[in-house]
Amino acid sequence: MDLLQKGKPLQMLLGSTNERRRSERGFDAIDWCLIGVVISILFLGVLSIYSVTSSTHQARFPIYLKQVVWIGVGSLAFWILARTDYHKLARFAYVFYGIGLIVLLLVLVAGKSSRGAQRWIALGPVAVQPSEFVKVTLIVALSVYYASKARHGWLYRVIVPGLITLPGFLLILKQPDLGSSLSFLALYLTLVLAVGVKSKAFGLVVLSSLMVFPFVWGEVWGSLHDYQKARIMSFMDPMSDPGGTGYHGLQSRIAIGSGQLWGKGLYGGTQIQFKFLPEGHTDFVFAVFAEEWGFLGSLVLVMLFVALFLLGFEIAAEAKDRLGALLAIGVVGMMAFGVIVNMAMTVGLAPIVGIPLPLMSYGGSATVVNLAALGILLSVRRHRLTLLQ
Amino acid sequence: MSRNLQTSRNIQDSGIRRQTLVSLCMLAGFVIIFGRLFYLQVLQADKMREQAARQHYKILTMDSPRGPIVDRHGKPLALTVERPSVYASPSVISNPRHVAQQLADVLQLSSASLMRRLQTTRSFVWIKRHITPEQAAQIRALALEGVGLLMEPHRQYPQGLLLSHVLGFAGVDSQGLEGLEKQYDAYLRGQAKTAILLKDAHGHAIRPMVVKQRVGPAGYTLQLTIDEMVQYIIEEALEHAMDRTRAKGGVIIVMDPKSGEILGWALRPAFDPNRPLAADPTWRRNRGVTDPYEPGSTLKVLVAAAAIEEGKVEPGTLMYAGDGQMPVSGTIIHDTHKAGWVTFAQAVERSSNIAAVKTALLLKEEGLYHYLKAFGLGERTEIDVPGESAGLLKPPRQWGSRTLASVAIGQEIGVTPIQLITAVAAVANQGWLMRPYVVRAILDAQGTMVWEQSPQVRQRPISGKTARILTTLLVNAVEKGTGKLAAIPGYQVAGKTGTAQKFDLTTGRYSTTRHISSFVGFVPASDPRIIALVIVDEPQGPAWGGRIAAPIFREVAERILQYLKVPPHVHDAPLTVAMAHHEDPVQSSLSKEQ
Repeated sequence: MDLLQKGKPLQMLLGSTNERRRSERGFDAIDWCLIGVVISILFLGVLSIYSVTSSTHQARFPIYLKQVVWIGVGSLAFWILARTDYHKLARFAYVFYGIGLIVLLLVLVAGKSSRGAQRWIALGPVAVQPSEFVKVTLIVALSVYYASKARHGWLYRVIVPGLITLPGFLLILKQPDLGSSLSFLALYLTLVLAVGVKSKAFGLVVLSSLMVFPFVWGEVWGSLHDYQKARIMSFMDPMSDPGGTGYHGLQSRIAIGSGQLWGKGLYGGTQIQFKFLPEGHTDFVFAVFAEEWGFLGSLVLVMLFVALFLLGFEIAAEAKDRLGALLAIGVVGMMAFGVIVNMAMTVGLAPIVGIPLPLMSYGGSATVVNLAALGILLSVRRHRLTLLQ
Repeated sequence: MSRNLQTSRNIQDSGIRRQTLVSLCMLAGFVIIFGRLFYLQVLQADKMREQAARQHYKILTMDSPRGPIVDRHGKPLALTVERPSVYASPSVISNPRHVAQQLADVLQLSSASLMRRLQTTRSFVWIKRHITPEQAAQIRALALEGVGLLMEPHRQYPQGLLLSHVLGFAGVDSQGLEGLEKQYDAYLRGQAKTAILLKDAHGHAIRPMVVKQRVGPAGYTLQLTIDEMVQYIIEEALEHAMDRTRAKGGVIIVMDPKSGEILGWALRPAFDPNRPLAADPTWRRNRGVTDPYEPGSTLKVLVAAAAIEEGKVEPGTLMYAGDGQMPVSGTIIHDTHKAGWVTFAQAVERSSNIAAVKTALLLKEEGLYHYLKAFGLGERTEIDVPGESAGLLKPPRQWGSRTLASVAIGQEIGVTPIQLITAVAAVANQGWLMRPYVVRAILDAQGTMVWEQSPQVRQRPISGKTARILTTLLVNAVEKGTGKLAAIPGYQVAGKTGTAQKFDLTTGRYSTTRHISSFVGFVPASDPRIIALVIVDEPQGPAWGGRIAAPIFREVAERILQYLKVPPHVHDAPLTVAMAHHEDPVQSSLSKEQ
């Protein structure tokens, strides 16, 4: 009695021709609502990046303008994918994912390294982070896997998709990029949770992983890089070393806390403006925002994200078929994981694992991928009333 | 809208449960984040704000500029100017080799040592402090990455060598290290100026914005008794004398005998306080106060003063000069000019050693010691420059059998130049022994006087009558005796030469080739305006004080008298008449006005 066992939504046919035509041609109120929320979040992101970088980076082409360019590219992807029937994407799901894995392998072989991590591939003048793109191909691949056939039993529901996910996860972990690999894992878990598992099967997985954990932990901990270990350790007790590993977390909390109720206003964020908290335009963009706009500003921002995700779940609920619903949940799950983990690490509730804040942090690949994923989400909504081929 | 929702609810019936689970997980995450934000931004807000403030306000204390040192007429001898200093932030320099090479060329430093400094991970290192404006302009033009310039206060001595031993010098951080700079550091140093600056994570002040500032007053001005012109005259004369005699060293001190104010103080070898480290450390020592020497015949002035004061001798007292030889405890004391019976006045005139020894014998050990002590020998004059030595004057119980005779002719006794001139100045000052000083007043930055030195009498070793009698003897010594070359036409000079053999530590005897040639004298004798001591250490060739030091005195004193506009004697009045005016201070001041 779950999503997979639903019959084809015959009721869809009951929709009036007018309604159908409208949904194919343009956007309705909910679509506009979604677009409005996304634009608001993008705007606040650019504003924060502008605020941080205008005083410290004196480049000929300012970072906030670069971000605007990336948003433009992302919007194009959004527009194209929103107008494309998601079923067309589904046809090439495994191919896309396979290409993604090959590119990840290429990154390890011929990627660009920076600060001890090999995460980028140079494409002409820009550096692309393939792990971001592979995330979307995983969403599509797993959605197609669950939607194409009724998958029963924990082998087909948990193990096989797990095996699909594993190579990508390992390749990203090897770069090393703990943040991206965790969000990869989170995607898988979200979709498993969404299709539902028999409590017995799920219980078995949880139990067995708990039993295996002590043996695996040593391996996992040993395979982590020193800076990753240090980050996890400093998360446990950040005050132990305020100038060292706990520095980012502590500075981030001071920045947010000192913003108080009303915030310090645009450019007023002394902690980030004065470089106490580096990377204010990337992973810690939320700290910049929270310092400058205070508790009330943060409240508005979090509300915008919640609204976006609730709209996403609404789209999933309305989706014409299992594939659409799973795609929508996957997209929302990917972004919600990013938002929650990023905010949690910024406010000092999670270790600093290097996950950017979707739609706000500066970064070309992530911005384009997130906007593309939202395009898929909108596509699911726009094609909810079309006839099945 | 409502219709859509209706439809979806129908189709998704039970599946909605799972979706709700995912969305509930998500919502739970946001609720936790909300709670945390509330905790940080509302509950803990004040604590966090305070923590932030502590990080980015930097309390900076800077010294206000160091006060200047000026001469008695306000001419600057030491100044504080702003000079550029180069610093680097090695942590942001990507190509240290290039930067080091460029800087090395401009600053004439070794590029290897610069490299070492640039290869640290520190965020701030000084490259070179107090560079020239031209170098600063070159560096600015290079626009090197991670290299900057800061203006720093820098101590400058515009007159170079002039008065360097008295002034001393200050270090890079404007701290007084030697001389008056050290002695009066507390006054010269500007009050600390505190500024609260906004700083960034690297500790740099990022905005020229000073949040709060408490400006302390600038350092006080030190006004000296030194007259720059007098100083210039003696420096020049001493420089010439050094060239002429090829001596090892020299001292000229000029003093106002009535107040104890030092008017000039020149030493050779000298150093440039703008580059103190370039000079030999022994050259930097203020030998006018630090180094006692054996004064030789100049000490006879004090022996004579004691004997006259004690009534043991008068100018007309006859003494037998032993035909130039006198045995004293196994050794023989010689006189240059052989004589039989002479008056005491003639003995002083000719600087007879034998007569001096005989005079000392009349005083006995205790008597001589008492007077030397009264003239301030063997103790510090308490002049206000650092490093003063008390000299060497042993009490009589430590004296050997020959000591009384030796002291009488200025041996076996160590006096510093300042002790000697101060003691002789008492003769010029009617017997009053003054405390010498070089700092006349301390002024604040607005020019208001904060402190003023007034002349201080230490004691009166001899009476005015004794001083007058002795003065006539010293005038004779210049006019007819050994000090002839010190005579200045139109003025009466009172003075005494001295030629001391240097004690040779290797042979344990007095050297016959190495001498200290000196002259101490004051002028005009009837109403002394200046007293000067000239010491030439180890001149080459004949070393007689009368030949070497006396002409230097004359050159110096003549120019100073002209500069001070001291009127020459209009008529050749007998000294006794001139001295008679001294009995009455009103008369004395009248005669000055003439």
